[in-house]
Amino acid sequence: MKTTKTIFQDGNHKWVAIVRDPEKPNFLIDTNEYLVTHGGQGLLLDPGGAEIFPAVFSALSAEFDPSTLAGIFASHQDPDICSSLALWLEFNPQMPCYVSWLWGGFIPHFGGSAKTFVTIPDEGADISLDGLILRAVPAHYLHSSGNFNLYDKIAKVLFSGDVGAALLPPGQDGLFVENFDAHIRHAEGFHKRWMGSNEAKRRWCERVSQMDIDMLCPQHGAIYQGADVQRFINWFDELQVGIVAA
Amino acid sequence: MTTALTTISATASKAGVDLLRIVRINEEIKSVVGVAFKINIMALNAIFLAKRAGTAARGFGVLSNELRVFSQDLRNCMSSLTGLIHGCVNEVSLVLQDIRHTRLLRQAVEMAPTARICQVLAAREIENDRHSVRLASLRKQLKRALEDAFQMVELGGVLAKSAKIEAAYGQSFAVPLAQVSGEFDAIVEEIRSSLEALRRSAFFTGK
Repeated sequence: MKTTKTIFQDGNHKWVAIVRDPEKPNFLIDTNEYLVTHGGQGLLLDPGGAEIFPAVFSALSAEFDPSTLAGIFASHQDPDICSSLALWLEFNPQMPCYVSWLWGGFIPHFGGSAKTFVTIPDEGADISLDGLILRAVPAHYLHSSGNFNLYDKIAKVLFSGDVGAALLPPGQDGLFVENFDAHIRHAEGFHKRWMGSNEAKRRWCERVSQMDIDMLCPQHGAIYQGADVQRFINWFDELQVGIVAA
Repeated sequence: MTTALTTISATASKAGVDLLRIVRINEEIKSVVGVAFKINIMALNAIFLAKRAGTAARGFGVLSNELRVFSQDLRNCMSSLTGLIHGCVNEVSLVLQDIRHTRLLRQAVEMAPTARICQVLAAREIENDRHSVRLASLRKQLKRALEDAFQMVELGGVLAKSAKIEAAYGQSFAVPLAQVSGEFDAIVEEIRSSLEALRRSAFFTGK
């Protein structure tokens, strides 16, 4: 079973990371799911693949009443992001799923009806969670061509999807980045290969540099906090991406 | 693994095998449909030949008309079999999807047995039962339709054999009439063998 870690809390406004399942088979890439709660409602960010639904559901249930989930945010269309969608919808058929307009016709292959999908335009959109405004921030081509991060300016948390992701070796499964230089080695190959556009990367770095961020939370690997956030942005800005030897 | 999950695993494996079997039946039916179409053309040729032979092939002419009616009935029969097969493929696929969802929901219930998730699982199981009942009904209908097709083809075989006998009285047309009726008989026999094999498919016998 996965564990939940509250990474931000101010009253009933919380960010909970659902992470690290020791029973997960090794052939499945490890993923981080995040729950944002506010005023008794919850938004689940990148709920994960169908195969890890039981682990995510049970961990989330331990922390939060899943029947009060107000929606799902899918950063992009990959199976490890939201192939569990049909199971979450089975639990709560009315729940909306926020997703890039680009994938509005693709993600329904995982499940859902015409009413399920709230599509986000390329420039982004605000998502309200019981009065808390969360901003869907464009991160197109990083790596998906229709890709969004989610920013909570009150908590100063940016859910960055695959940006900042690291494929950590066994045994190195801390929730937060402890040693940036040691950690970033596990992120380098991932970013070089998965991120497709230097121009898109540069725009993203400019955009997020202007945001007040305490924590940058990727969907794989560890969370960057404090000075490591800007350190990561600078590192990413310098990195040449979208190149493959073959 | 718990007993419930072991049962699900066994059911999934059976549904997977069922899907494979139904796909094979579908392929066999598709080839029979192709042959049935050929019969239609052959029956038309037989009618033209009988007309050319005139009074010498009057008996053959009657039989070739019957064979033409048979070939049309066979095509209709194959069309309804195809519809039933598609229904079965769809239903077995749904059962497979149900099994995956049920497995994951059961795991979730075991890990976090909240009232709501138990309700969701119960609703899922009701839906599973509905799909299973529908599949069982389609399976019965398909079996019946195959039996009907088999009976029809048996009759076609009798007609083809009678045509072979009648061909012998065709005087100067005896050879071409014998050839046409022989081909007809061979094709009907081919369809009969295919249907016979389909009737014995483990999809129906459950072995």
